[in-house]
Amino acid sequence: MILLEVTNPDSRVSLVLFFGTIGMLALTIGLIVFIIFHQRKVIRYQLRLQRMEQDQQKLLLNASIRLQEEERQRIAADLHDDAGPLLATARLYLNENLVNLDKTTQLQSIYNAKQIIDDTIQLIRNISHSLMPPTLKNFGLESAVNDLFQKISGSGSMNASSRFHDYRERLQAENELIIFRVIQELVNNILKHSNASFIHLTQNTSGNKFFIRLHHDGRGITQTDFNKLNKSNVGLGLKNIQSRLKVLHGQIFFEKDMSQTYYKVTIELIKDEMTMPESG
Amino acid sequence: MLADKAFFSEILPIVFYLIFLKRNRGEGLGVIFFYCCFSWLTEDFFFRQLHLPIPDYVHDSGFTILEFTIISYFTYTSLQGKTLKYLAILGALIFYPVAIINFTKEQESFDSIPASVEAIIIISYCILMLYEQINDPKVMFVYNTKKFWVTIAFFLYFSSTLFLFIYARNFTQAEHDKYWTINNFFEILKNILISISFVMKKSSKNPYPIEDLNPDI
Repeated sequence: MILLEVTNPDSRVSLVLFFGTIGMLALTIGLIVFIIFHQRKVIRYQLRLQRMEQDQQKLLLNASIRLQEEERQRIAADLHDDAGPLLATARLYLNENLVNLDKTTQLQSIYNAKQIIDDTIQLIRNISHSLMPPTLKNFGLESAVNDLFQKISGSGSMNASSRFHDYRERLQAENELIIFRVIQELVNNILKHSNASFIHLTQNTSGNKFFIRLHHDGRGITQTDFNKLNKSNVGLGLKNIQSRLKVLHGQIFFEKDMSQTYYKVTIELIKDEMTMPESG
Repeated sequence: MLADKAFFSEILPIVFYLIFLKRNRGEGLGVIFFYCCFSWLTEDFFFRQLHLPIPDYVHDSGFTILEFTIISYFTYTSLQGKTLKYLAILGALIFYPVAIINFTKEQESFDSIPASVEAIIIISYCILMLYEQINDPKVMFVYNTKKFWVTIAFFLYFSSTLFLFIYARNFTQAEHDKYWTINNFFEILKNILISISFVMKKSSKNPYPIEDLNPDI
Protein backbone atom coordinates (compact mmCIF):
# COMPACT_ATOMS: atom_id res chain seq x y z
CA MET A 1 0.00 0.00 0.00
CA ILE A 2 2.71 2.46 1.03
CA LEU A 3 4.88 1.27 -1.85
CA LEU A 4 2.08 2.04 -4.29
CA GLU A 5 1.81 5.54 -2.85
CA VAL A 6 5.51 6.03 -3.28
CA THR A 7 5.32 5.27 -7.02
CA ASN A 8 2.73 8.04 -7.39
CA PRO A 9 4.75 11.15 -8.39
CA ASP A 10 2.18 13.51 -6.85
CA SER A 11 2.56 12.07 -3.40
CA ARG A 12 5.61 13.98 -2.17
CA VAL A 13 4.88 13.36 1.52
CA SER A 14 4.72 9.62 1.17
CA LEU A 15 7.93 9.64 -0.87
CA VAL A 16 9.83 11.55 1.82
CA LEU A 17 8.23 9.46 4.54
CA PHE A 18 9.10 6.23 2.77
CA PHE A 19 12.69 7.06 1.96
CA GLY A 20 13.21 8.88 5.26
CA THR A 21 12.04 5.90 7.25
CA ILE A 22 13.98 3.43 5.12
CA GLY A 23 17.08 5.62 5.35
CA MET A 24 16.86 5.94 9.12
CA LEU A 25 16.25 2.23 9.46
CA ALA A 26 19.20 1.40 7.23
CA LEU A 27 21.42 3.76 9.21
CA THR A 28 20.32 2.26 12.50
CA ILE A 29 20.77 -1.32 11.38
CA GLY A 30 24.10 -0.41 9.80
CA LEU A 31 25.27 1.15 13.04
CA ILE A 32 24.17 -1.85 15.10
CA VAL A 33 25.91 -4.28 12.73
CA PHE A 34 29.03 -2.11 12.78
CA ILE A 35 29.03 -2.06 16.59
CA ILE A 36 28.70 -5.84 16.80
CA PHE A 37 31.44 -6.52 14.26
CA HIS A 38 33.71 -3.86 15.71
CA GLN A 39 33.31 -5.36 19.16
CA ARG A 40 34.11 -8.82 17.87
CA LYS A 41 37.25 -7.43 16.27
CA VAL A 42 38.26 -5.70 19.50
CA ILE A 43 37.72 -8.91 21.47
CA ARG A 44 39.82 -10.92 19.00
CA TYR A 45 42.57 -8.32 19.32
CA GLN A 46 42.22 -8.39 23.11
CA LEU A 47 42.59 -12.16 23.20
CA ARG A 48 45.60 -12.06 20.87
CA LEU A 49 47.21 -9.48 23.13
CA GLN A 50 46.43 -11.64 26.12
CA ARG A 51 48.08 -14.66 24.48
CA MET A 52 51.16 -12.62 23.53
CA GLU A 53 51.42 -11.33 27.07
CA GLN A 54 51.16 -14.86 28.44
CA ASP A 55 53.87 -16.09 26.05
CA GLN A 56 56.12 -13.23 27.09
CA GLN A 57 55.49 -13.98 30.76
CA LYS A 58 56.33 -17.61 30.14
CA LEU A 59 59.60 -16.69 28.43
CA LEU A 60 60.56 -14.40 31.30
CA LEU A 61 59.65 -16.99 33.88
CA ASN A 62 61.67 -19.65 32.08
CA ALA A 63 64.62 -17.29 31.85
CA SER A 64 64.39 -16.51 35.53
CA ILE A 65 64.18 -20.20 36.47
CA ARG A 66 67.11 -21.09 34.22
CA LEU A 67 69.16 -18.28 35.66
CA GLN A 68 68.39 -19.40 39.18
CA GLU A 69 69.43 -22.94 38.28
CA GLU A 70 72.65 -21.71 36.70
CA GLU A 71 73.40 -19.67 39.82
CA ARG A 72 72.80 -22.73 42.01
CA GLN A 73 75.05 -24.83 39.76
CA ARG A 74 77.76 -22.18 39.98
CA ILE A 75 77.57 -22.09 43.78
CA ALA A 76 77.50 -25.90 43.90
CA ALA A 77 80.55 -26.03 41.61
CA ASP A 78 82.40 -23.41 43.68
CA LEU A 79 81.73 -25.32 46.88
CA HIS A 80 82.47 -28.72 45.37
CA ASP A 81 85.56 -27.82 43.33
CA ASP A 82 87.17 -25.23 45.63
CA ALA A 83 85.94 -25.54 49.19
CA GLY A 84 85.66 -29.35 49.05
CA PRO A 85 89.34 -30.11 48.13
CA LEU A 86 90.60 -27.42 50.52
CA LEU A 87 88.72 -28.91 53.45
CA ALA A 88 89.77 -32.42 52.42
CA THR A 89 93.42 -31.30 52.39
CA ALA A 90 93.03 -29.67 55.80
CA ARG A 91 91.58 -32.93 57.07
CA LEU A 92 94.63 -34.80 55.74
CA TYR A 93 96.91 -32.52 57.74
CA LEU A 94 94.84 -33.09 60.84
CA ASN A 95 94.55 -36.89 60.61
CA GLU A 96 94.62 -39.30 63.58
CA ASN A 97 98.27 -40.06 63.02
CA LEU A 98 99.21 -36.48 63.90
CA VAL A 99 99.60 -37.31 67.62
CA ASN A 100 102.26 -39.87 66.80
CA LEU A 101 104.38 -37.40 64.84
CA ASP A 102 107.18 -35.28 66.28
CA LYS A 103 106.46 -31.81 67.66
CA THR A 104 107.87 -29.84 64.65
CA THR A 105 105.87 -31.86 62.11
CA GLN A 106 102.77 -31.47 64.27
CA LEU A 107 103.18 -27.67 64.36
CA GLN A 108 103.85 -27.56 60.63
CA SER A 109 100.70 -29.64 59.92
CA ILE A 110 98.57 -27.44 62.18
CA TYR A 111 99.97 -24.32 60.53
CA ASN A 112 99.22 -25.71 57.05
CA ALA A 113 95.73 -26.75 58.09
CA LYS A 114 95.12 -23.27 59.52
CA GLN A 115 96.29 -21.70 56.24
CA ILE A 116 93.92 -23.92 54.27
CA ILE A 117 91.00 -23.17 56.60
CA ASP A 118 91.71 -19.43 56.22
CA ASP A 119 91.65 -19.86 52.43
CA THR A 120 88.38 -21.73 52.72
CA ILE A 121 86.88 -18.97 54.88
CA GLN A 122 87.95 -16.41 52.27
CA LEU A 123 86.49 -18.55 49.49
CA ILE A 124 83.15 -18.91 51.27
CA ARG A 125 83.15 -15.19 51.99
CA ASN A 126 83.67 -14.51 48.28
CA ILE A 127 80.78 -16.80 47.37
CA SER A 128 78.62 -15.07 49.97
CA HIS A 129 79.62 -11.64 48.66
CA SER A 130 78.76 -12.62 45.13
CA LEU A 131 75.28 -13.56 46.37
CA MET A 132 74.75 -10.37 48.32
CA PRO A 133 77.48 -7.73 48.13
CA PRO A 134 78.10 -6.39 51.67
CA THR A 135 78.74 -2.89 50.34
CA LEU A 136 75.28 -2.85 48.86
CA LYS A 137 73.73 -4.07 52.08
CA ASN A 138 75.62 -1.69 54.34
CA PHE A 139 76.22 1.42 52.25
CA GLY A 140 73.68 1.32 49.44
CA LEU A 141 73.53 1.24 45.68
CA GLU A 142 75.90 4.14 45.03
CA SER A 143 78.75 2.59 47.02
CA ALA A 144 78.12 -0.88 45.57
CA VAL A 145 78.19 0.42 42.00
CA ASN A 146 81.30 2.51 42.68
CA ASP A 147 82.93 -0.55 44.21
CA LEU A 148 82.02 -2.69 41.20
CA PHE A 149 83.34 -0.09 38.77
CA GLN A 150 86.57 0.37 40.75
CA LYS A 151 87.17 -3.38 40.57
CA ILE A 152 86.64 -3.33 36.80
CA SER A 153 88.96 -0.36 36.39
CA GLY A 154 91.48 -1.98 38.73
CA SER A 155 91.67 -5.04 36.48
CA GLY A 156 93.14 -2.77 33.79
CA SER A 157 91.02 -4.20 31.00
CA MET A 158 88.59 -1.30 30.85
CA ASN A 159 88.13 2.20 32.15
CA ALA A 160 84.95 2.23 34.27
CA SER A 161 83.51 5.20 36.11
CA SER A 162 80.22 6.02 37.77
CA ARG A 163 78.58 9.14 39.08
CA PHE A 164 75.41 9.46 41.14
CA HIS A 165 74.01 12.99 40.82
CA ASP A 166 70.92 12.73 42.98
CA TYR A 167 71.02 9.86 45.43
CA ARG A 168 70.57 11.45 48.83
CA GLU A 169 67.98 8.99 50.04
CA ARG A 170 68.51 5.24 49.86
CA LEU A 171 65.91 3.11 48.10
CA GLN A 172 64.33 0.06 49.68
CA ALA A 173 66.96 -2.66 50.16
CA GLU A 174 65.28 -5.20 47.87
CA ASN A 175 64.84 -2.58 45.14
CA GLU A 176 68.49 -1.57 45.42
CA LEU A 177 69.44 -5.21 44.98
CA ILE A 178 67.26 -5.54 41.87
CA ILE A 179 68.79 -2.42 40.32
CA PHE A 180 72.28 -3.57 41.24
CA ARG A 181 71.67 -6.96 39.62
CA VAL A 182 70.43 -5.26 36.46
CA ILE A 183 73.53 -3.04 36.35
CA GLN A 184 75.74 -6.08 37.02
CA GLU A 185 74.09 -7.98 34.17
CA LEU A 186 74.47 -5.03 31.79
CA VAL A 187 78.11 -4.50 32.75
CA ASN A 188 78.72 -8.21 32.41
CA ASN A 189 77.27 -8.15 28.90
CA ILE A 190 79.42 -5.16 27.97
CA LEU A 191 82.52 -6.90 29.30
CA LYS A 192 81.73 -10.12 27.48
CA HIS A 193 80.41 -8.94 24.13
CA SER A 194 81.19 -5.30 23.39
CA ASN A 195 85.00 -4.92 23.28
CA ALA A 196 84.50 -1.49 24.82
CA SER A 197 87.37 0.54 26.22
CA PHE A 198 85.24 2.45 28.70
CA ILE A 199 81.94 2.29 30.56
CA HIS A 200 80.43 5.31 32.21
CA LEU A 201 77.39 5.17 34.48
CA THR A 202 75.35 8.17 35.56
CA GLN A 203 72.37 8.40 37.86
CA ASN A 204 69.91 11.27 38.09
CA THR A 205 66.28 12.01 38.74
CA SER A 206 63.68 14.09 37.00
CA GLY A 207 60.38 14.64 38.77
CA ASN A 208 59.10 11.27 39.81
CA LYS A 209 61.48 9.41 37.50
CA PHE A 210 64.75 7.79 38.49
CA PHE A 211 67.26 7.29 35.68
CA ILE A 212 70.40 5.21 35.35
CA ARG A 213 72.35 5.60 32.13
CA LEU A 214 75.23 3.51 30.90
CA HIS A 215 77.49 4.63 28.04
CA HIS A 216 80.13 2.54 26.37
CA ASP A 217 82.14 2.75 23.17
CA GLY A 218 81.98 -0.88 22.16
CA ARG A 219 79.57 -2.98 20.11
CA GLY A 220 76.08 -2.69 21.55
CA ILE A 221 72.47 -3.41 20.82
CA THR A 222 69.53 -1.16 19.95
CA GLN A 223 65.94 -1.36 21.15
CA THR A 224 64.95 -3.38 18.08
CA ASP A 225 67.64 -5.95 18.84
CA PHE A 226 66.56 -6.03 22.47
CA ASN A 227 62.90 -6.62 21.56
CA LYS A 228 63.92 -9.32 19.09
CA LEU A 229 66.13 -11.08 21.63
CA ASN A 230 63.41 -10.81 24.24
CA LYS A 231 60.95 -12.67 22.04
CA SER A 232 63.42 -15.38 21.06
CA ASN A 233 64.76 -18.22 23.13
CA VAL A 234 68.25 -16.73 23.37
CA GLY A 235 69.34 -13.71 25.41
CA LEU A 236 68.76 -15.20 28.84
CA GLY A 237 70.47 -12.29 30.63
CA LEU A 238 68.35 -9.70 28.83
CA LYS A 239 65.16 -11.55 29.71
CA ASN A 240 66.33 -11.62 33.28
CA ILE A 241 66.86 -7.84 33.19
CA GLN A 242 63.37 -7.42 31.75
CA SER A 243 61.74 -9.59 34.41
CA ARG A 244 63.62 -7.82 37.23
CA LEU A 245 62.59 -4.40 35.92
CA LYS A 246 59.00 -5.53 35.57
CA VAL A 247 58.89 -6.05 39.33
CA LEU A 248 59.79 -2.37 39.74
CA HIS A 249 57.47 -1.28 36.89
CA GLY A 250 60.61 0.03 35.23
CA GLN A 251 61.64 0.28 31.61
CA ILE A 252 64.89 -0.12 29.74
CA PHE A 253 65.93 1.50 26.48
CA PHE A 254 68.87 0.58 24.30
CA GLU A 255 70.01 3.14 21.75
CA LYS A 256 72.96 4.65 19.93
CA ASP A 257 73.70 8.18 21.03
CA MET A 258 73.28 11.22 18.75
CA SER A 259 76.88 11.10 17.54
CA GLN A 260 76.44 7.42 16.61
CA THR A 261 79.69 6.69 18.45
CA TYR A 262 78.50 5.38 21.77
CA TYR A 263 75.84 2.97 22.85
CA LYS A 264 73.52 4.12 25.57
CA VAL A 265 71.37 2.04 27.93
CA THR A 266 68.77 3.91 29.96
CA ILE A 267 66.95 2.40 32.91
CA GLU A 268 63.85 4.37 33.80
CA LEU A 269 62.16 3.74 37.14
CA ILE A 270 59.40 5.34 39.18
CA LYS A 271 60.85 6.89 42.33
CA ASP A 272 57.78 6.61 44.57
CA GLU A 273 57.38 2.90 43.94
CA MET A 274 60.96 2.21 45.02
CA THR A 275 61.07 4.29 48.16
CA MET A 276 57.66 3.45 49.60
CA PRO A 277 57.23 0.12 51.41
CA GLU A 278 55.33 -2.42 49.31
CA SER A 279 51.69 -2.94 50.24
CA GLY A 280 50.31 -6.50 50.29
CA MET B 1 -5.32 -5.54 12.53
CA LEU B 2 -1.70 -4.58 13.12
CA ALA B 3 -2.87 -1.98 15.66
CA ASP B 4 -4.44 -4.74 17.75
CA LYS B 5 -1.30 -6.82 17.51
CA ALA B 6 0.74 -3.80 18.59
CA PHE B 7 -1.60 -3.30 21.52
CA PHE B 8 -1.30 -6.89 22.66
CA SER B 9 2.46 -6.97 22.02
CA GLU B 10 2.77 -4.38 24.78
CA ILE B 11 1.70 -7.03 27.28
CA LEU B 12 4.66 -9.28 26.31
CA PRO B 13 7.46 -7.38 28.11
CA ILE B 14 5.25 -6.88 31.18
CA VAL B 15 4.55 -10.60 31.40
CA PHE B 16 8.18 -11.59 30.77
CA TYR B 17 9.48 -9.10 33.32
CA LEU B 18 7.20 -10.55 35.97
CA ILE B 19 8.02 -14.16 35.04
CA PHE B 20 11.79 -13.53 35.08
CA LEU B 21 11.76 -11.06 37.93
CA LYS B 22 14.84 -12.63 39.52
CA ARG B 23 16.91 -12.26 36.35
CA ASN B 24 15.99 -8.61 36.00
CA ARG B 25 16.54 -7.54 39.56
CA GLY B 26 19.46 -5.19 40.06
CA GLU B 27 19.86 -4.60 36.33
CA GLY B 28 18.23 -1.17 36.32
CA LEU B 29 15.34 -2.42 34.16
CA GLY B 30 12.56 -1.61 36.63
CA VAL B 31 12.14 1.72 34.93
CA ILE B 32 11.65 -0.01 31.57
CA PHE B 33 9.04 -2.27 33.12
CA PHE B 34 7.30 0.84 34.41
CA TYR B 35 7.54 2.35 30.92
CA CYS B 36 5.94 -0.76 29.38
CA CYS B 37 3.06 -0.69 31.90
CA PHE B 38 2.52 3.02 31.39
CA SER B 39 2.72 2.71 27.61
CA TRP B 40 0.17 -0.12 27.62
CA LEU B 41 -2.26 1.62 29.96
CA THR B 42 -2.25 4.84 27.95
CA GLU B 43 -3.09 3.09 24.68
CA ASP B 44 -5.99 4.52 22.65
CA PHE B 45 -7.82 1.25 23.20
CA PHE B 46 -8.36 1.98 26.89
CA PHE B 47 -9.25 5.58 26.25
CA ARG B 48 -11.91 4.59 23.76
CA GLN B 49 -13.30 1.91 26.07
CA LEU B 50 -13.33 4.05 29.17
CA HIS B 51 -14.67 7.20 27.40
CA LEU B 52 -12.35 9.39 29.47
CA PRO B 53 -12.98 13.11 28.96
CA ILE B 54 -9.36 13.83 28.07
CA PRO B 55 -8.69 15.76 24.85
CA ASP B 56 -6.45 14.05 22.31
CA TYR B 57 -3.72 16.68 22.49
CA VAL B 58 -3.49 16.31 26.29
CA HIS B 59 -3.26 12.55 25.94
CA ASP B 60 -0.61 12.69 23.20
CA SER B 61 1.49 15.47 24.72
CA GLY B 62 1.27 13.97 28.19
CA PHE B 63 2.36 10.62 26.84
CA THR B 64 5.31 12.15 24.94
CA ILE B 65 6.53 14.08 28.00
CA LEU B 66 6.23 11.10 30.34
CA GLU B 67 7.78 8.72 27.81
CA PHE B 68 10.72 11.07 27.35
CA THR B 69 11.10 11.48 31.12
CA ILE B 70 11.22 7.72 31.71
CA ILE B 71 13.68 7.04 28.88
CA SER B 72 15.85 9.98 29.96
CA TYR B 73 15.92 8.65 33.50
CA PHE B 74 16.88 5.21 32.19
CA THR B 75 19.64 6.77 30.05
CA TYR B 76 20.91 8.93 32.90
CA THR B 77 21.13 5.98 35.29
CA SER B 78 22.67 3.69 32.66
CA LEU B 79 25.44 6.06 31.58
CA GLN B 80 28.61 5.93 33.66
CA GLY B 81 30.67 8.76 32.21
CA LYS B 82 30.20 12.19 33.75
CA THR B 83 30.34 14.00 30.40
CA LEU B 84 27.79 11.63 28.87
CA LYS B 85 25.50 12.21 31.86
CA TYR B 86 25.75 15.96 31.21
CA LEU B 87 24.77 15.34 27.60
CA ALA B 88 21.70 13.44 28.82
CA ILE B 89 20.75 16.43 30.99
CA LEU B 90 21.32 18.74 28.03
CA GLY B 91 18.89 16.63 25.99
CA ALA B 92 16.25 17.08 28.68
CA LEU B 93 16.91 20.82 28.79
CA ILE B 94 16.23 21.00 25.07
CA PHE B 95 13.15 18.82 25.10
CA TYR B 96 11.08 20.18 28.01
CA PRO B 97 10.81 23.81 26.81
CA VAL B 98 9.80 22.59 23.35
CA ALA B 99 7.20 20.21 24.79
CA ILE B 100 5.75 22.74 27.24
CA ILE B 101 5.55 25.55 24.68
CA ASN B 102 3.91 23.19 22.21
CA PHE B 103 1.48 21.98 24.87
CA THR B 104 0.38 25.48 25.87
CA LYS B 105 0.31 27.10 22.44
CA GLU B 106 -0.40 24.49 19.80
CA GLN B 107 -3.28 22.34 20.81
CA GLU B 108 -3.22 20.17 17.73
CA SER B 109 -4.35 16.60 17.23
CA PHE B 110 -0.81 15.19 17.22
CA ASP B 111 2.23 16.79 18.89
CA SER B 112 4.53 16.39 15.92
CA ILE B 113 7.22 18.82 17.06
CA PRO B 114 7.81 17.44 20.60
CA ALA B 115 7.51 13.87 19.32
CA SER B 116 10.12 14.52 16.62
CA VAL B 117 12.44 16.33 19.03
CA GLU B 118 11.96 13.47 21.48
CA ALA B 119 12.81 10.93 18.77
CA ILE B 120 15.99 12.79 17.79
CA ILE B 121 17.12 13.17 21.41
CA ILE B 122 16.39 9.53 22.24
CA ILE B 123 18.28 8.39 19.11
CA SER B 124 21.22 10.45 20.41
CA TYR B 125 20.83 8.86 23.86
CA CYS B 126 20.91 5.42 22.25
CA ILE B 127 24.11 6.27 20.38
CA LEU B 128 25.67 7.49 23.65
CA MET B 129 24.65 4.31 25.47
CA LEU B 130 25.96 2.07 22.68
CA TYR B 131 29.20 4.05 22.60
CA GLU B 132 29.63 3.53 26.33
CA GLN B 133 28.68 -0.14 26.17
CA ILE B 134 31.28 -0.96 23.51
CA ASN B 135 33.92 0.94 25.48
CA ASP B 136 33.19 -0.91 28.70
CA PRO B 137 36.10 -3.34 29.20
CA LYS B 138 34.02 -5.43 31.61
CA VAL B 139 31.57 -6.38 28.86
CA MET B 140 32.81 -9.34 26.84
CA PHE B 141 30.04 -9.33 24.22
CA VAL B 142 27.86 -6.26 24.05
CA TYR B 143 24.84 -8.25 22.83
CA ASN B 144 24.98 -10.38 25.98
CA THR B 145 23.85 -7.47 28.08
CA LYS B 146 20.22 -6.63 28.79
CA LYS B 147 20.70 -2.91 28.35
CA PHE B 148 22.00 -3.43 24.81
CA TRP B 149 18.68 -4.94 23.71
CA VAL B 150 16.67 -2.20 25.40
CA THR B 151 18.84 0.41 23.68
CA ILE B 152 18.44 -1.29 20.32
CA ALA B 153 14.66 -1.45 20.83
CA PHE B 154 14.41 2.31 21.38
CA PHE B 155 16.98 3.04 18.70
CA LEU B 156 15.08 1.09 16.03
CA TYR B 157 11.67 2.35 17.11
CA PHE B 158 12.51 6.04 17.24
CA SER B 159 14.64 6.13 14.11
CA SER B 160 11.93 4.34 12.12
CA THR B 161 9.11 6.55 13.35
CA LEU B 162 10.98 9.88 13.21
CA PHE B 163 9.73 10.83 9.74
CA LEU B 164 6.28 9.53 10.56
CA PHE B 165 6.08 11.81 13.61
CA ILE B 166 7.33 14.78 11.62
CA TYR B 167 4.49 14.44 9.10
CA ALA B 168 1.83 13.11 11.48
CA ARG B 169 0.12 16.40 12.28
CA ASN B 170 -0.62 17.04 8.58
CA PHE B 171 -2.14 13.61 7.99
CA THR B 172 -5.79 13.23 7.11
CA GLN B 173 -7.57 10.42 8.98
CA ALA B 174 -7.18 8.15 5.93
CA GLU B 175 -3.44 8.90 5.72
CA HIS B 176 -3.08 8.41 9.45
CA ASP B 177 -4.71 4.98 9.26
CA LYS B 178 -2.54 4.05 6.30
CA TYR B 179 0.84 5.23 7.54
CA TRP B 180 0.38 4.41 11.19
CA THR B 181 1.16 0.79 10.32
CA ILE B 182 4.84 1.87 10.40
CA ASN B 183 4.45 2.88 14.04
CA ASN B 184 2.54 -0.30 14.87
CA PHE B 185 5.07 -2.54 13.17
CA PHE B 186 8.05 -0.99 14.95
CA GLU B 187 6.17 -0.91 18.22
CA ILE B 188 5.78 -4.69 17.96
CA LEU B 189 9.48 -4.98 17.16
CA LYS B 190 10.36 -2.73 20.12
CA ASN B 191 8.25 -4.86 22.48
CA ILE B 192 9.85 -8.07 21.19
CA LEU B 193 13.34 -6.65 21.72
CA ILE B 194 12.49 -5.44 25.22
CA SER B 195 11.02 -8.90 25.94
CA ILE B 196 14.31 -10.49 24.78
CA SER B 197 16.13 -8.24 27.22
CA PHE B 198 13.83 -9.31 30.06
CA VAL B 199 14.09 -13.02 29.20
CA MET B 200 17.87 -13.24 28.75
CA LYS B 201 20.11 -14.31 31.61
CA LYS B 202 22.27 -11.87 33.48
CA SER B 203 25.45 -11.13 31.52
CA SER B 204 28.72 -12.58 32.71
CA LYS B 205 31.59 -10.15 33.10
CA ASN B 206 34.58 -10.20 30.78
CA PRO B 207 37.24 -12.35 32.49
CA TYR B 208 40.01 -10.59 30.57
CA PRO B 209 39.25 -6.87 30.60
CA ILE B 210 41.90 -5.03 28.62
CA GLU B 211 42.74 -2.78 31.59
CA ASP B 212 44.05 -5.84 33.50
CA LEU B 213 46.24 -7.06 30.68
CA ASN B 214 49.50 -6.07 32.34
CA PRO B 215 49.63 -8.07 35.55
CA ASP B 216 52.72 -7.98 37.73
CA ILE B 217 54.92 -11.01 37.73
